[in-house]
Amino acid sequence: MQAIEVSHLIKKFGSLTAVNDISFSVGEGETFGFLGPNGAGKTTTIRILTGVSRPTSGTATIFGHDIEHDTINARQSMGIVSENSNVYDDLTAWQNMVFSAELYHVGRNEREKKSTELLKKFELYERRNDKAHGFSKGMKRRLTLVMRLVNSPSLLFLDEPTSGLDVQSNLIIREVISDLILDGVTVFLTTHNIEEANVMCDRVAIINKGNIIAIDAPESLKKTSKGSQSIEVSFDRNSADHLDELSRLSMVNEVQKAGDKFKFYTEDPAEIIDAVAVYARTHNLKIISITTLGPSLEDVFVKLTGLQLAGDGIHAID
Amino acid sequence: MQSINQEGGVKRLSCEISAAWAIAKKDMRIYYLKSNIIVAGILFPFFMFLAFAIGKNASPGTLIPGLISITLLFSSSQIEPVSIAMERRVKTFERLLSAPISLYSLVLGESLSGFFYSLGIACLPLIAGVIIFSTPIVHAAILVISMIFTAFCFATLGTLFAAYPTENVGEIMSMLNTVRLPLIFISGVFVPISSMPHIGQEIALISPLTYGNDMIEYAYTGKSLFSPLLDVVMLMTFILIFQITANYLYKTFNE
Repeated sequence: MQAIEVSHLIKKFGSLTAVNDISFSVGEGETFGFLGPNGAGKTTTIRILTGVSRPTSGTATIFGHDIEHDTINARQSMGIVSENSNVYDDLTAWQNMVFSAELYHVGRNEREKKSTELLKKFELYERRNDKAHGFSKGMKRRLTLVMRLVNSPSLLFLDEPTSGLDVQSNLIIREVISDLILDGVTVFLTTHNIEEANVMCDRVAIINKGNIIAIDAPESLKKTSKGSQSIEVSFDRNSADHLDELSRLSMVNEVQKAGDKFKFYTEDPAEIIDAVAVYARTHNLKIISITTLGPSLEDVFVKLTGLQLAGDGIHAID
Repeated sequence: MQSINQEGGVKRLSCEISAAWAIAKKDMRIYYLKSNIIVAGILFPFFMFLAFAIGKNASPGTLIPGLISITLLFSSSQIEPVSIAMERRVKTFERLLSAPISLYSLVLGESLSGFFYSLGIACLPLIAGVIIFSTPIVHAAILVISMIFTAFCFATLGTLFAAYPTENVGEIMSMLNTVRLPLIFISGVFVPISSMPHIGQEIALISPLTYGNDMIEYAYTGKSLFSPLLDVVMLMTFILIFQITANYLYKTFNE
């Protein structure tokens, strides 16, 4: 049985089609990434899959339970960690846990045992009697995740789980998610951190303007983007003044300055390495490092969604 | 097979009730001591009552039934418009919507917190009547029943208005007050329904406060416009209408 089975799902808001006839399935124990730019239809899809919103047409099942007609049974096996740390600030960490367990019908003995175990694992046990309003953003996110695990879900929806967190929280959350994956929990992950999806996911789907434009394993997707090979070169002097001349080297499709490195996009890395070496000699530059890179998942994402990379992230093309 | 289904049904019902109770407990812990809840739940009905009672040639003790009625009206419908709007703002309401419980349990749980709060607050004028003004209670059991049904009816009304999809508490409150304030005047709290013009008497029939207040009057004086049984039936009808409408609105507005 598939953990998630989506068939011809459509969601319209008036004349706007937020999700346009998408179909996909997620196997039990699979970690599935759902990527897309803002407004692509990710949140709408998750709201439908979690039974908060109803589809205009099409079906979605969770472990065989139709989310529209058998909503409660479908929800019973899932945990939902939304982008916002939606804990109750006026309740203690323990009270938040107990409330979540009660909502998911976890018995008293089980919820006390599970709450203790999870709070310790997430390094929150010492603060269990403190109200959540005094917690840092990372602690609140950890508490959010703990609350969603109290019913031992078989399917976990993670919406931007590590976005904007401190290093400690980030590491704890990633470690716990890795453990959950090893335990066979199915993970449906949406993230803006494409590298996170690349590292964690068995498969990813890329959604744009309500349509799924690619769905495959990250490595398979990268192979479809042959033109995105690149090399990174760092000189002892990395002035942006070199950009213009470097971009005129043969076989260079594009050059970007990224920190103390220049990144060359090309279809022939070997040719570029020779040309860069000549350039360095002529301009009396010393090459500190040189790295050849295959296409990244981010390159695939950018290519498929029609976005463009800028120095500070991904931006939509006007 | 039938007994398995029945067992499943009983288990489901038990889960729904315990989830509704969990929501009610959560609201009690978080919102009962919020300053705006206390001010609106206690002071607003009290001053409202004073504004109309002062100048009347009636002993203060005889005004207790009316004071209990408007306290129930205002305090029971006070919690949910605040709690649900605030929870929309901090995104905890979405979590309730995605929990494995029915919308009926969600509406019931939210209403229960207003219900218990209101019963607690309404005990203040009740006790004041007994201790300070020695106001006699003719039918104590009817008084308890009337307070329970009236409080639950208006708690459900509060949950119904809170379905409006806004994060702004004031927006819901202003809509709610356009209904609550006229109810005071058309339900026989200050002016007996029998003294109202014909059109007023007809309008009074569609106000749930009419039946709640009528039963409370009966409990205190032994006199009423309708029989207490009819009052209970009407209040139950309003509760059902509010609950079903709230359920429908939460579903619709979520889209």
